[in-house]
Amino acid sequence: MDPYVTLGVSRTATQNEIKAAYRKLAKKLHPDLNPGNKVAEKQFKDVSAAYEILEDPVKRAKFDHGESEPDQGGARQGPSKQGPFYYETQRGGGGRYTQSFDEDLFKNFGDLFGRARAEPQEDLRVYRMEVDFKDAVLGAEREVTLPEGRKLQIKIPPGVESGQKLRLKGFGEIELHVRESPVFHRNGRDIEIEIPVSLSEAILGAEIRVPTVDGAVLLKIPPSSNSGTRLRIRGKGVGASGLRGDEIVTLTVVLPETTDADLRDKIAEWSLTHSYNPREKLENTS
Amino acid sequence: MKKKYQIREAVQEFGIDEQRVVHYIRNEWIAPVEPARLDEEDIARARLIVDLQEVFGVNDEAVPIILHLLDQLYSWQSVKH
Repeated sequence: MDPYVTLGVSRTATQNEIKAAYRKLAKKLHPDLNPGNKVAEKQFKDVSAAYEILEDPVKRAKFDHGESEPDQGGARQGPSKQGPFYYETQRGGGGRYTQSFDEDLFKNFGDLFGRARAEPQEDLRVYRMEVDFKDAVLGAEREVTLPEGRKLQIKIPPGVESGQKLRLKGFGEIELHVRESPVFHRNGRDIEIEIPVSLSEAILGAEIRVPTVDGAVLLKIPPSSNSGTRLRIRGKGVGASGLRGDEIVTLTVVLPETTDADLRDKIAEWSLTHSYNPREKLENTS
Repeated sequence: MKKKYQIREAVQEFGIDEQRVVHYIRNEWIAPVEPARLDEEDIARARLIVDLQEVFGVNDEAVPIILHLLDQLYSWQSVKH
């Protein structure tokens, strides 16, 4: 193997040129960006081995004088020494870091792919865990104590639903039960909420405070907003940050608890000249 | 149980810079199950981050995004198989 050929540089290349050539090739061939591509992996190892010789002036000089044959051992070369590539530790669903995605994927695509996980039948106990509405929406890390007294850090991925199970390597499974919220309702990745508005807010428009799972936000109610008007607050729904759904606000116009004479008289006067029939469509269809 | 390494052992055996490892843990780019005890996954992940930064020129802002996308990709692949 000629490291100059492998990296595609001339024998008189400067250290900077060599580095640039290596980086360019490594970006294309890095095994973690080409998981499972054995050709790319072999090339990456060759390129790394070549770079290891040429980046070091002493080794480079030795090679130039024909003193040493570069070894082509199977071990990973380059800045770090041995051990698997990252993707190799995660494949087959065996990795901790990719597990949080599995839950979502399993839910959405498990049927499609008919996934048959060759999960080693470890001690499969099923635990139950109550999850706050907010934690289920945004994801959270919680400590749980197993019945046998053992404490575990549980990572709840954003967007989990009741009945979903989290696998715990070596312990079994935890079935999640999401607590209902008195104000929010989940609809897929969106969160729905009903917000009462006053007669004047509905007619004149207003800026009101509306709760979201991230805390209250100001929402502009456009003038002439009727009951049933749906307004969207982007990015306040379910999911991981950057991928979240929306909060959908449905307005309900609420009359004052008691109708005072003032309002009654003004409406009476107004209705003399402004009658309208909100049931028009209903009557036409029956 | 899989072999675990103290940070110092990992530094010696795999040639990763100690300050980097600490920086990665602080940023939660690697999340050891036990504090300061790295397993094979943590080490492989740390070495990937070293490559991302050193070879690819990725900055601190982009590291978590790339890790997130790679993890999704790998989990997809494991579902398909």
